[in-house]
Amino acid sequence: MKLEVVSRSGRSIATLDVNPDSTVAELKKKFHGLKKTYYPARQRFALPVKAGETRGQVLSDDKRLSDYGLTEGGKLEFKDLGPQIGYSTVFFWEYFGPLVLYPLFFFLPQYMYPHIKAPAGAPQHALVQKLACAYWCFHYAKRIVETFTVHKFGHATMPIFNLFKNCGYYWGYAAYVSYFVNHPLYTAPNETVSVACLAVAVLAQLGNFWSHIILSGLRKPGEKEYKIPKGGLFNFVTCANYTFEIWGWLLYSVAVQSIPAYLFAATGAAQMTQWAIAKHNRLRKLFDGKDGRPKYPRRWIIFPPFL
Amino acid sequence: MKFSTAYLALYNAAQACGWAAILVVLAIGVAQRETPEQLYDRAAPLTKLVQGAALLDTLHAAVGLVPSSPALSLMFWVGRGNALFAITEPIAALHSSWWAVVMLGAWAAAEVIRYPWYAATTLGACPGWLTWLRYTMFIPLFPVGTIAEMALMWTSLPELQSRRLYSLALPNPYNWAFDYHRFIQIVLLLYPLLWWQLYSSLLRARAKKLGGGSSKGGSSKGGSSSGTSGDGSRPPAADILRQETRTKLLKVQ
Repeated sequence: MKLEVVSRSGRSIATLDVNPDSTVAELKKKFHGLKKTYYPARQRFALPVKAGETRGQVLSDDKRLSDYGLTEGGKLEFKDLGPQIGYSTVFFWEYFGPLVLYPLFFFLPQYMYPHIKAPAGAPQHALVQKLACAYWCFHYAKRIVETFTVHKFGHATMPIFNLFKNCGYYWGYAAYVSYFVNHPLYTAPNETVSVACLAVAVLAQLGNFWSHIILSGLRKPGEKEYKIPKGGLFNFVTCANYTFEIWGWLLYSVAVQSIPAYLFAATGAAQMTQWAIAKHNRLRKLFDGKDGRPKYPRRWIIFPPFL
Repeated sequence: MKFSTAYLALYNAAQACGWAAILVVLAIGVAQRETPEQLYDRAAPLTKLVQGAALLDTLHAAVGLVPSSPALSLMFWVGRGNALFAITEPIAALHSSWWAVVMLGAWAAAEVIRYPWYAATTLGACPGWLTWLRYTMFIPLFPVGTIAEMALMWTSLPELQSRRLYSLALPNPYNWAFDYHRFIQIVLLLYPLLWWQLYSSLLRARAKKLGGGSSKGGSSKGGSSSGTSGDGSRPPAADILRQETRTKLLKVQ
């Protein structure tokens, strides 16, 4: 059947001759054949907007064209998602920065604080500064390992602009926090409290890792649908992984007693909260208890007892 | 009438009156050839009150009472607040600067149009000429106000440095240092960029609102931000939370 591809402003782009039983993925390959710039990962197709909708229904790669009721002469709206980059590529680079930048201030203060007259010999650090550096590096090493061994990504790619945005955020904050925590004029807080906080923070990291394992096991290979997370803290909190992550950074901040650390923790928490609310509402809407679907249980969203 | 509608109409009307008073005071003073210092002394107290109270604009947006973006609204309020409370107020020399008068005048001239427009739109009785004013007068007034703010910040730099205002030096128990003088230098560099973002979004809103064709039946921009909510980058999660709050609030009546 022939399908007409239009831009979102209605301008006709191309006509595709496809088999109604072919998948959306095959459609994208065909379109790529016609328009060389738009490789499949950049393509987004949607059905024209129906009455009562704000957006047309987006076509999923694994579904068939007939699943969407597309017939001869049907229209498809095309959007160019822009140059794409792999999720794991972005994750690697955004985590690699902090892993390398933070220790720079710890090990090379003579270069990172050139305006401060350093006392001769090896840099002097309080115990908390040493443990904080180890904790920070352990955290980002863990993230990189998870990226390549644990995480299963819902999308394969993201717009390339995100690489710079995300790296700017992670690398920027890494330098900002590290500069002050490893500063020659750093004032170390109570050592016992700090060590205790970092010890609990490590437990939070383990909880976060465990949560990631649970999330990774939710979908069997090939499954695409949403599942209700279960096990561990997920029985009580929708985004238990974020709960542990927020605790980890909160405890790190208390341990080092530095405003930039608190700012970093707060910014991360704010972003995770936005994501958690969206996920929680998505799951509640999906699992409404009707038509044989389970009902999403009453749970905290991200951070008991507050949200 | 819903309670929220009455409240918003009252709030916007009160702001409109406040800014009108400021504009009148300045106009009379200029007509009487007062010095900048006299003009500032007359207009500043009321300006501080209404501009401070304008934080409510952000609150309204955050709870979903109005469709504006709370982030944009807050950015706007912080920018103005910085220029008025943090820079101009504490530095006596700036009180005798014409830039301060220009800044207050530009703000007041814009607000005596914007707030009445919000009030009228909230009540569903906004005349076309007011809409035209609201979406046109910003074109000259916004750049004038911004330049005045930048001029005041620029002039303040030496005194910010010598007095070390709002700055923190190491060592201290917060393990943080902040140099406000350096911060304002960076803000000055970023100001044209931030200004352009806001200005261009207003121009786009103007094209949509005034530029021919059907207006989609009064999307009540009875809101409190000068920014448009139509740039598509608002996170859906915040929308959901705000819509739910809005529904709960409206159910109260």
